[in-house]
Amino acid sequence: MTATWGLACSRCGRAGLEERALSDRGRVVAFTVLNVPGEEFLNEAPYAYVVVELEGGGRVTGWMPTVRSEADLSIGEAVRFVPGYKPGVQFVKREASETT
Amino acid sequence: MRETWVVGAASNRYGKMTETAREAATRVALEAIRDAGLEPKQIGHTFVANCFGLAEHQAHVGPLINNGLGIPEVPSVTLESACSSSSAALHEAFVHVAGGFADAALVVGAERLGHLDTLAATSYFAIAADYAFETKNGATFPGLYATLASAYRDVYKTTPEMLGSIAIKNHANAARNPHAHFQKEISMETYLASPLIASPLRLYDCCPFSDGAAALVVAAKEAMPRPTNEPLVVRASARAGAVTDMQDRPDLLGLPSTRAAAAAAFRQARMTPKEIDFLEVHDCFTIAEVLALEDLGFFPKGTAAKESADGVTARDGRLPVNPSGGLKAKGHPVSATGAGQVVEVFEQVNGRAPGREVPRSGTALTHNVGATGGSCSVHIFSRR
Repeated sequence: MTATWGLACSRCGRAGLEERALSDRGRVVAFTVLNVPGEEFLNEAPYAYVVVELEGGGRVTGWMPTVRSEADLSIGEAVRFVPGYKPGVQFVKREASETT
Repeated sequence: MRETWVVGAASNRYGKMTETAREAATRVALEAIRDAGLEPKQIGHTFVANCFGLAEHQAHVGPLINNGLGIPEVPSVTLESACSSSSAALHEAFVHVAGGFADAALVVGAERLGHLDTLAATSYFAIAADYAFETKNGATFPGLYATLASAYRDVYKTTPEMLGSIAIKNHANAARNPHAHFQKEISMETYLASPLIASPLRLYDCCPFSDGAAALVVAAKEAMPRPTNEPLVVRASARAGAVTDMQDRPDLLGLPSTRAAAAAAFRQARMTPKEIDFLEVHDCFTIAEVLALEDLGFFPKGTAAKESADGVTARDGRLPVNPSGGLKAKGHPVSATGAGQVVEVFEQVNGRAPGREVPRSGTALTHNVGATGGSCSVHIFSRR
């Protein structure tokens, strides 16, 4: 699973990037709940598309099958990566006991 | 650089076309050439936009258009820049004419997706996103702008009524535009009752899938001693790119490519936003109009939604925005959209916009975005 692709940094242009392992925990910085899905998510709607800021740095986008409406998620909420049944990056909400 | 004008313009009615994009493109192209008082053989180069031509099993459509115009020997090229394809074509035409490589150039954009169902059309639109990192995670085109809307709302506290005011305004303008897909007004009740497509965006926040075609003729001032219309002087033709992916953007509160293209355009034109009389901006979703007005420098960050709700951007307001009805209500035939925005400016300047005239039309700016901001074109025009 990778989070982005490039041969040079999109901010500074420097080449010679290296692969880094990212945390599986983060917080939602933006999200939408889709009632009208894309072709490969036909049987999943409604679901959330999320932008997540990971602990220790790095942002990724992903999706959350358990979020069915806007009321189910908030910006700033803690989430955790889980291996999913689709090729995308899947997140679930972290339980209060998991939240650091 | 030579002084360069837009001397002819034409558009069909956006909506659902029964003819192919190639046929519609050829038809509006001939209309624009005749509108300019020229003959097809005076065209030196044809620049075509037909981003989703493959939906009609057709690529390399430029020679077919030129052949249909009786000028098969004229060079052509098709440019793809997602929803900004025909403004990219206009930019190339400008470069050719201003640089002396052609005295007159044809710009024509056409799109036909109306024969597809919603799912297939949504999938075509999503192709212009980053497939591996956005589409694969469930993003759709409305979903990506909805993500920006959610980030914006979190900081600037926009209300549904603020976004709704933009949809209502653009529908009111489109109701007076014979080229428009939706020629009907809507109420706040209708807006608020429309279903959420991708929260917080409702059905009436979204542009429709439209078919359509629009064409422009660009010519050097020195090649047009007696123009048939009041020409649009191209004061600036600027483009910029930016990071596309949501996860790699420096912030989610605007489109950096709009900011960069606007800065370059105002520098080229030696003008400031205060000198612009009216705008056609890329409002594929209501939130996109908000972001555009701020990123172009017309309103401080966080204020454009409220200004719109207060009527500032209405046709008779201080700064008319999208008198055509915009992508939102005039419609969004992807590859015709950017050229179509300039058709609106041309019609306003030439007194061909009865019932939707803006109070002042000495200068205008058009703003056309590729997908979610990977590309952006900004053009500035003035009367002679």
